[in-house]
Amino acid sequence: MTAPVELGSQLITLMAALMLVVQLFMVVQQMLLTNIRLFAIQSLFLAGIATVIGYAHHATHVYVLAVLTLLGKVLLLPRLLTRLVRRINIIQEIEPLLNAPTSMLLCGGLTLLGYLVARPFTSLERLGNNTLAIAMTLVLTGFFLMFNRRKAITQVLALLTVENGVMLAAVALTTYGMPLVVELGIFFDVMVAVMISGILVYRIRESFASMDTSKLTQLKG
Amino acid sequence: MPSDIILQPATLLTLSLCGYVGGAVAGLLFARHAKLANLLSFSAAALSGVSGLFAALVFLASAAAPLRQIELVPPLNPFVQFTARLDALGAFFLAIVSLIGFGLSVYSLGYAKGFLGRKNIGVLGAFFNMLLLATTLVFLADNAFFFLITWEIMALTAYCLVSFEHERDETRKAGVLYFVMSHIGTGCLILGFLLLFQTSGSYGFDTFHSIGGQMSASRRNAAFLLFLVGFGTKAGIVPLHIWLPAAHPVAPSNVSALMSGVLIKTGIYGMTRTFFEFLGTPPNWWGVTVLTIGTISAVLGVLYALMEHDLKRLLAYHSIENIGIILMGLGAALMFLHTGHGLLASLALIAGLYHTINHAAFKALLFLGAGAVLHTTHTRNMEEMGGLAKRMPTTSFFFLIGAVAISALPPLNGFVSEWLTYQSLLQGFGTTESLIRLMFPLGGAMLALTSALAAACFVKAFGITFLAQPRSHHARQAHEAAPTMLIGQAILTAACVFLGLFPTVFLKLFDPLTEQLIGQQISSQLTVVNGLVLSGIAPNGGTVSTLGISLIALCLVPLPLVLWLLFARGSKTRIGATWDCGLKSLTPQMEYTATGFSKPIRMIFKTLFRPRREVQREYDFSPHFARTIRFEAHVEEIFETRIYRPMRIGILRLSRRIRALQAGSIQAYLIYIFVTLLLLLLFAL
Repeated sequence: MTAPVELGSQLITLMAALMLVVQLFMVVQQMLLTNIRLFAIQSLFLAGIATVIGYAHHATHVYVLAVLTLLGKVLLLPRLLTRLVRRINIIQEIEPLLNAPTSMLLCGGLTLLGYLVARPFTSLERLGNNTLAIAMTLVLTGFFLMFNRRKAITQVLALLTVENGVMLAAVALTTYGMPLVVELGIFFDVMVAVMISGILVYRIRESFASMDTSKLTQLKG
Repeated sequence: MPSDIILQPATLLTLSLCGYVGGAVAGLLFARHAKLANLLSFSAAALSGVSGLFAALVFLASAAAPLRQIELVPPLNPFVQFTARLDALGAFFLAIVSLIGFGLSVYSLGYAKGFLGRKNIGVLGAFFNMLLLATTLVFLADNAFFFLITWEIMALTAYCLVSFEHERDETRKAGVLYFVMSHIGTGCLILGFLLLFQTSGSYGFDTFHSIGGQMSASRRNAAFLLFLVGFGTKAGIVPLHIWLPAAHPVAPSNVSALMSGVLIKTGIYGMTRTFFEFLGTPPNWWGVTVLTIGTISAVLGVLYALMEHDLKRLLAYHSIENIGIILMGLGAALMFLHTGHGLLASLALIAGLYHTINHAAFKALLFLGAGAVLHTTHTRNMEEMGGLAKRMPTTSFFFLIGAVAISALPPLNGFVSEWLTYQSLLQGFGTTESLIRLMFPLGGAMLALTSALAAACFVKAFGITFLAQPRSHHARQAHEAAPTMLIGQAILTAACVFLGLFPTVFLKLFDPLTEQLIGQQISSQLTVVNGLVLSGIAPNGGTVSTLGISLIALCLVPLPLVLWLLFARGSKTRIGATWDCGLKSLTPQMEYTATGFSKPIRMIFKTLFRPRREVQREYDFSPHFARTIRFEAHVEEIFETRIYRPMRIGILRLSRRIRALQAGSIQAYLIYIFVTLLLLLLFAL
């Protein structure tokens, strides 16, 4: 009985760590399409974690979550975003506000903060180590990604990584994850958010002939 | 027995609530058919009013235990429960809203026709019903959350009704002012109830009962102040009164009557509920504060009323005055509770609450009279009226009754409640040894001043509006109001007369109320000689019988006839023209004007009013024979110019600074959120 749990715990720790690594890659990665692929990989790890938890605890609905993540975030959303990028034909390079070294330093700080914040709650983790800390870090760095980039589409991507962090916290903290309804709700929220942002991005592009959100200041009353 | 069920307060109350809902729905459904919508919505409101009135009276007369809590809507969570319950205090205010609602609805049947083809009567009827419904629910709510929701619905529907004639700039401004003030009040109430919640752990009113005893002194005082400001804004206490003279005049007159008669009384209801039931034995300064605010409101209200020549604004200022008188009763009751004089506290509370229902009756009546005048003359300016007594005799008779009642002349209802207030104030002097006791005679003196000024004001209001010759074309063309409008006024007139002549009957209904709030029933001590004579309770307290006064007055009516028969039978009668000082003839221009009438008072209180006048003469050859004279007189509204205007300017300036935060860039907004998140996380560490 303990053997699969022990193994599962190690697997989860590993995959969570890989999620963080991917996230940090995204912080320094300059190419838009690569960024989307990185997000798909990160989501794949999340789906993996969910599968392991579902297997270790015989929780069927966590499997559902894993499948949904696989279908939605690994396959559907990246493909959708890629198509959008191709269609509006934008320059591939991301133009961050802060350069890569500074971003990296800041994200290091945020990771520290994430670990600090999560420390009082480590006893709550049932499987794996530091999953909560990584989840916190994903949320914080995701946030950082969101305001560090100008293009609307990269901001959508950043929002999705924040959501990955929230999902990770959900599956890591509680043995059986959140109630299925809540998870489904969040999942579809994200789907809809991406659809709407996709359309918005398209419109912004049409109206301002650019995807730079800092041009939106013209809308201020 | 079916008749038993029908006479149950719960059944009657449910009927009444359903009636309001039905009226509102009918108004909206038949909005296209103005006449049908008018008929359906206002008759539904009238019937609901009757039903609600009976529910309240049956409940109070049977002195029943509070009705069981009824859950109107399933709760959202353990805290937010939509529970309603009828108890003695709620029933008393239910009686007020139902009685006034009944009279007003009948009146509206005729009045709303004035909007035919101009405005959507169905919408007016729907909002009217909704306002009555919300106000009724405010008195029934048994949970702070539910209370606040109904309170807010009430404020919003009232806002919609105030802005009913939104084409005019004045109306929109008044509506916004009311909206802002009302929400400042609601904000305070939310904070106040949260303070109570912190101690009780629940939002149910039953758990708030005497909660004040368990709260720390500072929290209790904070809750008191928040409730005073919150409910005081609705009631219109000085200096939070500025919305009243703005919003009441611009609303349709039936709505003004509803607002002045009932809506501002919800403030009194809230204060009574929180101060007497929730906050426990009051420290002395609460009572002193309420009494002082009451006194100031009464005196300033009537003084500003005297300066008005807009009939409806004048009535609005009188509402401030009467709220002041009511608060004098409540403040005295709080002071008596502090010193442990339960009997006197009950007397003062009854005085305040009796004045509440009386003011509702006569102020609604006066607004209806003003509405009838407005309806036919199309002006609110008294200087352009005059001579209406001949053209609309019934309306002017009803207005006169209302004016006598509000001036507190015996034997009408205003007199009874003000007499009770005097009694409690005068007896208060002996309740304590400290210097604070000087408050009582001082308050009594101010009340006397207020009553005298109110009488002067209504001599002006009635005299300038209804007597002498018409001063404008419109006034000359005036005609009597529609029958339903007269019936509506008659209902309220009857209420004024009955409340004045038979106070001893009505005082019995207060027993369950004082029992609930103070723990004493005192109606038997307030009446002597088989309930014919009203008495102040102390051995040296006065006695008075309005019934006796009227009987004596009736007996005196034949006296002049007898005297004439005895002494002057043979004298001759000569009929001639009125003495006109030798001029050609008397014209309306020679009449006493409202501005002229109030001039002495303006001069006496000129430090307060800071009157300013402007005279422009145009003459051909000699300054003594002017061709035209233009005269302008203004009084300064100190609260507007000294408090609210600087405050408004300050707030606008601050907002402009804060607006710099709205940079318009998404990155900036994201950084705000991110920094807040980081700070919260660090704070949590």
